[in-house]
Amino acid sequence: MLDLWELASIATRFALYLGVLTAVGTFLTTLLFQITGCRHFTVGFALLGIAATVMGFSLSGAALTGDAGGMVDFEMLGLLWSTSVGTAVALRLAGLGLLIVGLLLGRVGRILSMIGGGLALWSFVTVGHIPDRGSLLLSIALLFHLVAISIWIGVLTPLRSLALDPSRLSDAVRVGHRFGKIAAVFVPLLILAGVYMGYELVGSLSSLVGTGYGQALIIKVLFVASLLTLAAANKLRFIPQMSRGDPAAAGHLSKSISIEWSVIVTVILTTAALTSILTLPS
Amino acid sequence: MKHIMFTAMVSLWATSAIAHSPLEATVPANEATVSKTPSEIVMDFKGAIRLTRVSMTQGNQPSVSLDLDAFSGFASDYAIPVPPIGMGNYLIEWRGLGADGHPLKGSFSFTVK
Repeated sequence: MLDLWELASIATRFALYLGVLTAVGTFLTTLLFQITGCRHFTVGFALLGIAATVMGFSLSGAALTGDAGGMVDFEMLGLLWSTSVGTAVALRLAGLGLLIVGLLLGRVGRILSMIGGGLALWSFVTVGHIPDRGSLLLSIALLFHLVAISIWIGVLTPLRSLALDPSRLSDAVRVGHRFGKIAAVFVPLLILAGVYMGYELVGSLSSLVGTGYGQALIIKVLFVASLLTLAAANKLRFIPQMSRGDPAAAGHLSKSISIEWSVIVTVILTTAALTSILTLPS
Repeated sequence: MKHIMFTAMVSLWATSAIAHSPLEATVPANEATVSKTPSEIVMDFKGAIRLTRVSMTQGNQPSVSLDLDAFSGFASDYAIPVPPIGMGNYLIEWRGLGADGHPLKGSFSFTVK
């Protein structure tokens, strides 16, 4: 049974992934598709990422002692800081800080935000199950995975906002079309990277079905499969309908994106459990 | 949304229950019965770990923290001295930091007869 610290660890990891991926993804999306008006949204999720980073580090201290005292136990926190966990925390805080500062500076701050977003995503490649394997190819696969899913997550809210604004419907069609073209390339690569990482981490079919880690991975894959179905509906049905001027298409797209968000939240939750409490098959 | 989240939570709760321990072997062994009171407990992990807390509980008595001051850094084998103990059932609970940065925990028990 999970104890309080493990539940708190999953919740914090969930907030961390949601904050970082949404903030970095929304920033990258606004750059790629020239969308404006997402600054507050992006800063909000970056702040969520910073809060979750600090809370997660503190909770890791508590997990080492088994009581709340560990959250401020300098010996435990110092021990964590000296490991790759500390490196990841430093990179993440610096990255999200730069992302926010860059956003506040406007156009001139884009480079800062770009570096910050890169550092924040890179921080996930410095600690955890995949970096421990010491394989450059695996780390590259993970980084690509993070960049691709952050763009996927990042496009959802701006696209939904555009679709719901009748005066910006043409922008919604433009963004939807361009994202569809990019997704046609990165989604197959994303699947390939996911299968490769899954195979390297789990190793066998018996481990996939016979361990907690493998079973959680199956749950994640099932939800990702449903996500692909929704994305295909957006690309092949709702966006073309919108471009033809179907008045109901924007509403359908908006509803589809809302469902997509809920599935993404579930996938992130599953990932939080995979990376915080479940051990890899031996 | 609620149905999707609920399904995921229940599934994850179930799978987490079978996450296995990184502890390979202990002396005394888990659930073993020994006739001689051990002067130390040995914990052999599958990989390097930094133990941060180890406690020993006999029956309904308050748990006693074992001294880890002699250990520093990461290691896979620990021999931890225990205070003189009498007959009874003992539960050893441990926490530590894995080399991959994951906090780890586990427990084992033995009986002195």
